[in-house]
Amino acid sequence: MLFLEAAPASAPTIDEAILWAIMLCPLVAWGLIAIYVRKIPVAAGYLAILGVGAACVLSYVTLFNVMDADGGIAIHSHEWFSAGDLVVNLGVRVDGLTAVMLVVVTTVAFLVQVYSTGYMQGDAGYGRYFAHMCLFTVSMLGLVLADNLFQMFIFWELVGLCSYLLIGFWFHKPSAAAAAKKAFIVTRIGDLGLLAALLLVWTRAGTFDVTAIQEWATSGEPEGYIVTLFALGLFAGAAGKSAQFPLHVWLPDAMEGPTPVSALIHAATMVAAGVYLVARFFPVFEASHDAAQFVAWIGAITALVAATIALVQTDVKRVLAYSTISQLGYMMLALGTFGYVAAIFHLFTHAFFKALLFLGSGSVNHATNTFDMRQMGGLKKYMPVTYWTFIIGSLSLAGIFPLAGFWSKDEILLDAWRHDRALWAIGLSVAFMTAFYMFRAIFLTFHGEYKGGQPVDHHDEDSHFHGDPAHPHESPWAMKGPLIVLSVPAIAAGWLAYDHLFKDFIEAALPHAESHGSTFEIGIAISSSVVAVAGIGAAWAVYMKRWVTSESIRATFAPFAIIFENKYYLDRIYEDLFVRTIFHRGWNALLQANDRYVVDGIVNGSGRLAREASSRLRVIQTGQVQSYGLGIVAGVIIIAVAVITANPL
Amino acid sequence: MSVGIEHFLTVGALLFCLGLAIALSKRNAIGVLMGVELMLNAVNLTLITFSRFAVSERPITGQAFAVFIITVAAAEAAVALALAVSVYRNRETVDVDQLNLLRS
Repeated sequence: MLFLEAAPASAPTIDEAILWAIMLCPLVAWGLIAIYVRKIPVAAGYLAILGVGAACVLSYVTLFNVMDADGGIAIHSHEWFSAGDLVVNLGVRVDGLTAVMLVVVTTVAFLVQVYSTGYMQGDAGYGRYFAHMCLFTVSMLGLVLADNLFQMFIFWELVGLCSYLLIGFWFHKPSAAAAAKKAFIVTRIGDLGLLAALLLVWTRAGTFDVTAIQEWATSGEPEGYIVTLFALGLFAGAAGKSAQFPLHVWLPDAMEGPTPVSALIHAATMVAAGVYLVARFFPVFEASHDAAQFVAWIGAITALVAATIALVQTDVKRVLAYSTISQLGYMMLALGTFGYVAAIFHLFTHAFFKALLFLGSGSVNHATNTFDMRQMGGLKKYMPVTYWTFIIGSLSLAGIFPLAGFWSKDEILLDAWRHDRALWAIGLSVAFMTAFYMFRAIFLTFHGEYKGGQPVDHHDEDSHFHGDPAHPHESPWAMKGPLIVLSVPAIAAGWLAYDHLFKDFIEAALPHAESHGSTFEIGIAISSSVVAVAGIGAAWAVYMKRWVTSESIRATFAPFAIIFENKYYLDRIYEDLFVRTIFHRGWNALLQANDRYVVDGIVNGSGRLAREASSRLRVIQTGQVQSYGLGIVAGVIIIAVAVITANPL
Repeated sequence: MSVGIEHFLTVGALLFCLGLAIALSKRNAIGVLMGVELMLNAVNLTLITFSRFAVSERPITGQAFAVFIITVAAAEAAVALALAVSVYRNRETVDVDQLNLLRS
């Protein structure tokens, strides 16, 4: 590893204005769409593409600039406000990690915007849709550019808001409105932890600055448990946003939103924000091995739980949703095993191929008016472009050499292997399941006989479905184009692993690069490849050749299948135990009793007191001036007597 | 026995109590007014007494005060009698027990 220590990174020379402009371009587009052209669909679409496209170009400029500086760090910070000891800055920080995230976010956002012009064609809320998408892009860029935790938190909540708005985009559907609320509330539980971490770091370290916090955590100055608490608080926020077990339940429901939204927010960018947050404060987790261990195991459990549920889903979009959760678990597993580079690398590759898969499922939906795989089949001959790009995305996700997913997944498994064999075993079994459920989805969707899709309900005025599900057709170029473009990084993004290109670049963002040896080991690569091929083969045997029917497998493993189909009963537990029992019966009943007896008691009691007292006192209000005079005289006499007694002559 | 300050003050106090008793107990409004006048004059008497006996740089103050009160009392009597006449015209009575409009 000699060359790792060589050439200390210099600061990137990029102009600060460019960094702010990355954020401002979509912001301006958002403002213009929201204020002026919300009712003019074409203008809204092109304006959004223009804004995000400009940000995309500037992001690549930034990336190349940071690459020229060998991944050095540049920070431009300005004081925003101060109150007493509290100083809050507004600044941008750019390093390898930021540059990679910028490129991922803007690239996927740009392609998704282009795709959306086709997918959302004719929707009543077309302008509103692009406004929300622009606002989301701004928030996400602000989040990755922030140089302090406070600013990060602001944008963190903003992306949550945009997620809420976009999941509930078709808010007239009760299921969409409920899903939006669920996403907002469940992530809020995690955000509580993040807020606690924010307060903790402020009281203990007295700063929000990322670099300062990293130094503070690694300096050995704070007690160990403080660092662990801080790390766990951060991870709680990350677990909410990145849908980690047991807070993952909101993500599958978030599929109620439009499919491009799922591709951008719930696959490529926002859900990766949690991974980004943990990576950003990676030295904190290095300083607290307990917290790191916790992150690794939560990640492993998430990966396993989500992959098993994905095996039995019948809705293609939900398969992808659970797959996303599972892959996010992989990333957390990597971070917990100190595989900082592996996690970000997987985030990077996953963003492309998962966005590709989601957009592919949207394309299928565009042709068949459904996401239910039982109503599809045989779409291969109708939609060749969608089919082949979907195959590329799936192979990449399954980790087949030499596609992108292979390289990043391999690094994660390697880190897990070096850290804990049990974690590696879980990772490997998840890799098998990943290959299986993805090809199950492909075989059910694209092979066999076409089953007719979902007939169009002409009474449903909200439906913007144009075609005829009985005769599926390939999607327009606005949709095919992004699919083809995205399949390029889905194939090739992994080759950055070659010669430590990605690794060196990313690691320069850390205060001290800690090398764990090579990023490739042939044994791990072979084992994961064999497992992935076995998964594909198994899916082929069951769903293509039907040597074993899925029904018979289900019957053999009935108890497991039932658990998987019920999503481990987590939704049921949350609904029945937390919402109904603890909140409705317990907490709400307590509050209601408090309201009825204590608060109402005080209010009514004060009223009754006034009424009773006045009905007694009114007797002396005779209206007779003489009786008042008598009262006055009596009062004067009493006072005089009192004064004289108190001050004897 | 020489007549001293105590005697004057005692007479003043007795007059005041008498006036007060009348003002509080008479049912006829005119009677009440007369009681009030008596109280005012009792106060005047007290003021003059202090003016006469006090060792002060300006002993005239009490007397000036008394003259002032007499003037105001005259004005008050005129207004009050006018009110009494007005009340009588409206209510056919000057009995203060009946004049309880303040009581709703």
